[in-house]
Amino acid sequence: MTTRRLSPLLAHLRCQQRSQFSYTSPSTLHARRLVSTGAANISETRSYPKSRPLTEKEREFLQNAIRVNQAGELGANLIYEGQYAIFKRDPRLKSLIRHMWDQEVHHLETFNKLVAKHRIRPTALRPLWNVAGYALGVGTALLGEKAAMACTEAVETEIGGHYNDQLRTLLDMLKDDKDLLQHGELKELIDTIREFRDDELEHLDTAVEHDSKGAEGYDVLFNVIRGGCKAAIWLSQRV
Amino acid sequence: MNNTIRTNFSSPSIGRILSKPITSSSSSSSCCSSLTTPRIKFRRRYHSYQHPAPGSPFTKAESAILSASLLHVPSHGFSNAALSFGARDANYLDISVNMLPRGVFDLVHYHLATERLRLGDKIDFRKPENELPEGLRNLSIPAKIRVLCMERLRANAPIIHRWQEAFAVMSLAGNISASMSELAKLSDEIWFLAGDESHDTTWYTRRATLSAVYATTELFMTQDNSKDFEATWAFLDRRLHDVKTIGSSVSNVTSYLDFTVHAFANVLRSKNVPFF
Repeated sequence: MTTRRLSPLLAHLRCQQRSQFSYTSPSTLHARRLVSTGAANISETRSYPKSRPLTEKEREFLQNAIRVNQAGELGANLIYEGQYAIFKRDPRLKSLIRHMWDQEVHHLETFNKLVAKHRIRPTALRPLWNVAGYALGVGTALLGEKAAMACTEAVETEIGGHYNDQLRTLLDMLKDDKDLLQHGELKELIDTIREFRDDELEHLDTAVEHDSKGAEGYDVLFNVIRGGCKAAIWLSQRV
Repeated sequence: MNNTIRTNFSSPSIGRILSKPITSSSSSSSCCSSLTTPRIKFRRRYHSYQHPAPGSPFTKAESAILSASLLHVPSHGFSNAALSFGARDANYLDISVNMLPRGVFDLVHYHLATERLRLGDKIDFRKPENELPEGLRNLSIPAKIRVLCMERLRANAPIIHRWQEAFAVMSLAGNISASMSELAKLSDEIWFLAGDESHDTTWYTRRATLSAVYATTELFMTQDNSKDFEATWAFLDRRLHDVKTIGSSVSNVTSYLDFTVHAFANVLRSKNVPFF
């Protein structure tokens, strides 16, 4: 898991990310992954000096972002849970899926805490995501290992891009407040999203390494799942 | 033409009308803005610990008039008379009540919103245990909810004999949505202050049940003649108990179904059915 090959798609995403956030050099990215980030301490309420009030638009963005992230991590959890239910007999895939699932569990827990802490209404479509996520996991796993990996690739591509969009908006929001970029609630949120984005892209790497592109009907599968993810993100931001 | 206007301005009666809002320039500008900006903009949003919360949904002038009017509610009820007296007490003219587009409902809404926001200053269970008052330490979540409901209902005590009028105003077609949203915000506030951390569908069920319990208890309280509202507290306890009973029977059914499904899967597994 430590050696990370760059797939062409991933290289594209990384390039995008590097050009957007010039101060995030790859070396610091790797260094950050070795030390634990602020995500673990998210539930503590540290006191920071009061800073400027957030505008209505910024509050709206933050609320929608945290809600959709929670819903997304919930969906990812259920997809891996579904795949795990099918692949648990296969010792090689079992540990692989388990590892990715464990990371998603951590992501979900973090966003659960954030939802409660910041008084955000969780998505009302949770029952739908419960069914759809699990069905997607089981369904693609039944199609075979490569199809499951294509599903992972599609989902993680979409989520990675989605997190990058959020980071871009957040950094744009704070570009005039140097203090807020150094420490504070929003800095922690940025760190959390950045860490999770890297995890998701690692899953994407893993999926490509396991020959996701060799799946039967790869193009159709990939685009249908990606479209589904887009629709789910659109819905969760609103409902 | 010019002359007549000037004489009109200098005549004492109109001069008095104009002088009132103009002398307090800050409040006059805010009452103008209150006419153009949307009335309810206090929607639930990202709650920050670092960034200050958005201010009150009421402008300075509105707050001054409405808080003064509330003092007249015990004697004059939720009525235009109370509003006019309040405006006079706050050194505004009777006519300035017209800047409240929803009239009496604004008075009701002001009471609801301010008491909701005040609740957290009185009792906040998110504080460390040793900072809480003596009798409020180490309570269970339902007990915390009960304490918070009682505290909020007590804030209605001075005007409880007039509260049915407020119910009448709230139930008018145009006011229902604002009233319901205020009720939803109150039950969200109570769960938040009780330290609830739900993040799934229980978030919705908890708030819905508490809203129902609170609204019925509030209605009961308007009819309550017992000393210190003892009958109301007993009523509240019975409603909370009902909710608990419903909640536990739902979870019993869920665990029964869960058990049945697992037992079925185990039977299949013992028959070597694939994927189980």
